[in-house]
Amino acid sequence: MFAKGTNKGFLGWMIFGIAMLALPLFASSATVRIFVFANYIAIFAISWDVLSGRTGYISFGHPFLIGIGGYTTALLTHHLDMPLYITIPAAVLVTMIAGTLFFLPALRIRGTYFALVTLAFMELMYGLVQVVAPDITGGTRGLTGLPSIVTGAVSNYYLSFGVMFTLGLAMWLLIRTRLGTALGSIGMNEEAVRACGLNTTKLKLFAFTLSAMIAGLGGAMYIHYLGSIAPRGLFDVSFLFTILVACLLGGAGTITGPIMGAFFLTLLLEFLRPYIPGSERYLIYGVATLVLYVLQPRGIHRLIQITVNWFVEGFMRRKST
Amino acid sequence: MKISKSSKLLLAVAAMLLGSGMSGSSIAQDKDPIVVGYIGSFASDTGLSTIRGAEIAIDELNAAGGVLDGRMIKFVKADTREDVAEGIKAYEYLVESENVDFIISGSIDDVSLGWLPRMAEYKTPTLDTWTSYVGIIDLVVNEYDKYKMYFMNIACDEALATLYIDFGKDVLAKEMGYTSTVLMYEDTAFGVSIAGLVEGLLAPEAGIKISEKIIYDANTVDFAPLFNKAVSSGADFIYLVSSVRSQVPASQYVKLQVPIPMTGVNVAAFGQDFWNDTGGLGAGTSTLSPVPSVGMALDDRSAEFITNYKARYGSERPIYPHFNGFNAYYGIYTAFAAAERAGGFAPLDDWIREMENEDLKLYKDGELWFRYAFWKRGEIEPRTQREYTHNVKFDITPPFDDGSPAMVVVQWYEDGSSAVIYPPKFATGKFQEPSWVK
Repeated sequence: MFAKGTNKGFLGWMIFGIAMLALPLFASSATVRIFVFANYIAIFAISWDVLSGRTGYISFGHPFLIGIGGYTTALLTHHLDMPLYITIPAAVLVTMIAGTLFFLPALRIRGTYFALVTLAFMELMYGLVQVVAPDITGGTRGLTGLPSIVTGAVSNYYLSFGVMFTLGLAMWLLIRTRLGTALGSIGMNEEAVRACGLNTTKLKLFAFTLSAMIAGLGGAMYIHYLGSIAPRGLFDVSFLFTILVACLLGGAGTITGPIMGAFFLTLLLEFLRPYIPGSERYLIYGVATLVLYVLQPRGIHRLIQITVNWFVEGFMRRKST
Repeated sequence: MKISKSSKLLLAVAAMLLGSGMSGSSIAQDKDPIVVGYIGSFASDTGLSTIRGAEIAIDELNAAGGVLDGRMIKFVKADTREDVAEGIKAYEYLVESENVDFIISGSIDDVSLGWLPRMAEYKTPTLDTWTSYVGIIDLVVNEYDKYKMYFMNIACDEALATLYIDFGKDVLAKEMGYTSTVLMYEDTAFGVSIAGLVEGLLAPEAGIKISEKIIYDANTVDFAPLFNKAVSSGADFIYLVSSVRSQVPASQYVKLQVPIPMTGVNVAAFGQDFWNDTGGLGAGTSTLSPVPSVGMALDDRSAEFITNYKARYGSERPIYPHFNGFNAYYGIYTAFAAAERAGGFAPLDDWIREMENEDLKLYKDGELWFRYAFWKRGEIEPRTQREYTHNVKFDITPPFDDGSPAMVVVQWYEDGSSAVIYPPKFATGKFQEPSWVK
């Protein structure tokens, strides 16, 4: 059912899972908080990777989907006092419907044009939230005092990690199935996939809806973690870049790569904060990203793969001699 | 005398024990510092104003022997880059990693709204010096127990707007005879909210009709078409609301010799660097400004603060602190005065009680000039008939003998000087139409 090498990869997931579960036992509360952010960025990166990393339909509008999820639950809890167990599934559902909106341009265009159209979705949403019913959406300033799902650094860590790990593992397994291979093939040659008798429209719709579901869930949980929502914080190019850079630096199309990218970027920036409190941190972040990307264009994922293989081969060689 | 190996070892151990004992006793003598955290931008003039105001106050307190029984104050900073999520991370960093006792903020509206839930969770005493959003004060009023550790020592935007309407009535309508305006504002959080207040209050209360509304992108570089549209509307003056690159519309207004006057809110004009930033083309711009503003006469203590500021930072911008630099300076003093009486920043309720009782009055020529006190819970502001719990105790009714005015109007003249033109008690100049206005 799954592609070759799944067992080896599964072992990696287990090691990662155990290490992450143990983290709060030896890390400070401050470090745990940083990891919560990393988990959420990783969820958004997984969402982007399922769609763009696999099918090649590059989305510049993912904050639109994340924002739909965030605003849906924020409005329902803030104005209607609805419980989170209703508002979060509702947010996921609404985002999945919005995901089909995203899908429409993909029926006719791809490449740069598709990317620009999705960017327009994000900008449109930014404008709409500010202008349409600002009394309800909080307008440009947004809403604050939103309820938390759980309180405290450790609880939020386990919650965000649990969701990220489950989604990540599920998507990683998915891309190793025939369905995942078909999605990946769309990214290589959509015409050829169609010529093989596969319905690419259905395949793309599946990828878009799945990506939207993850973005909606992540967005809804993220804003309840933050406790506030503001249009400038979500529908913003720097937020989009964070997701894109995490995916590209980690290794797009691999699911594990974007998770690594999200962790690398978030941890690098936050661990630099005590030493370089100002924006100069971002200069180091830029240089590190550039160097890593030049060193291995297929990302951290590939870099780790090469390193592990090198060690394993070296060990085997020594054992055989 | 020959010393055996074992004796040498014993001596070394003894020396180490003695050393560690001595260092232990010296550590006991050193008291832990009180940690003050700054949250806000590191790059903007307003952010730097808060940082420097706080730095000067902290250095003065440390030089005077420290606070709370001789403890030194340590100042740590976290950059928000004016981004909401960064603001939340910065707040977490200050509390979780730096263990701050008190936070002073130079954050803008949505960034403050972003970290408010963290403040409520950590229960860290926090003083905002820049954001003026009345919605935050409403949170303190309506959910006091949750947000009681929050104080804002700039008058909230509602108070600013109320007093600005008086300027509209007294000067723009009555003195200048204006009856219509073009509302020109940027598409930012700040622009939209101020424009909303102007539309809702200036027009109906001052009897000035808004004949045209022009919303522009904050990155606009060519204002000629916008000014043409404003002039062709036939309005008496332009009401500009600009917080991003505000020197651009101001300088193009002069360069294009736009034939109608322009007033409003121009954030760049809050600072003394405005004239240089416009390349000497800042004439005619008048703006609402929180206090203490540029061009404002100062009491002796504030004047001394400015002398120290200039001596310390020289020609580094901002060459003169924005209003929030003063707010940060006095904010540190009030927060620590409250802490001295309460015995520290914890227990929180004790500090809050003393902060609510804090009342720093600054006089000029025997008149109350500035006041750093706070509205108490349940206290009603007489003019608006509502509560402003933990907002600075502003005054919006002449003769302004109960607190600082919520705002003043500042104008930049053609010779590069600036003056306060409203309210009359604080005026150092008069509203002037630029010479090219017919």
